[in-house]
Amino acid sequence: MRIRDEDKVKLVKQKALESIVKDGFEGFSMNRLAKTCGISVATLYIYYKDKDDLIISIAREEGDKMGDMFIENFDPNLSFEEGMRVQWSNRYKFLTENPSAHLFFEQLRTSTYQERFLDNFMKKFKTVIGEFMQNVVAKGEIKPMSLEVFWSIAYAPLYALVRFDREEQSIGGKPFKLTEEVLWQTFDLVIKAFKS
Amino acid sequence: MEIENLDHILLFKTNIKSEDCKAKMQTILDRYEGIIKWNIALDDRDCVLRVISYSLNHQQIIELINSYGFDCCELT
Repeated sequence: MRIRDEDKVKLVKQKALESIVKDGFEGFSMNRLAKTCGISVATLYIYYKDKDDLIISIAREEGDKMGDMFIENFDPNLSFEEGMRVQWSNRYKFLTENPSAHLFFEQLRTSTYQERFLDNFMKKFKTVIGEFMQNVVAKGEIKPMSLEVFWSIAYAPLYALVRFDREEQSIGGKPFKLTEEVLWQTFDLVIKAFKS
Repeated sequence: MEIENLDHILLFKTNIKSEDCKAKMQTILDRYEGIIKWNIALDDRDCVLRVISYSLNHQQIIELINSYGFDCCELT
């Protein structure tokens, strides 16, 4: 009798993420993945219907994991500043603890897989964060604005700092290491931007 | 470890390489008694055929695929 070996499934997911981040979707194949994991191709096809099924189920799972981390200790009734502080802290934690997952999503964004996993993607997170945003606007803490404007001010600076840190350099090759001090200094300026 | 019997997933290496070849087998596999679900990974170098069946065995599927002129053997 064949049974599902959760350790193997975990290894497959981890190696798939790493391979896609390293070689992109084009260079990714079930055969290569099986070899990397030291398992047979048949085992891989037992767990997943095909390559697309594997990529989409990993994307969904990682998305839920990311969403759950983002709403850890996060109450939609928090004040704008406190809520944003928890968001920054959770996102920073996720980005540093799961660099492959983050880069995997960056690749998915520009791939044909994008529209196929967006349904229900991070549903729980979206509900909670949506409630928070409605609350802070209703309380008059921030003005209503488009998602793009909000995101570009609220989160883009954090992702830029994390990217500088990962690449160990900032603008023009200047060596850079992200510290808590720099992180929270940037955060304070972000909050200030919304208050003005 | 989750105890889940996976013996009903039958895997084969085939030479069903193109959409046309797949289309040729589509009606047959869709209607074949005992086949719950099936798919062929055309992007795989082994053109893996994956069949879900609680009643059929590998040999029966191999004979079926062979009878339509395609190569087919168990993927191990």
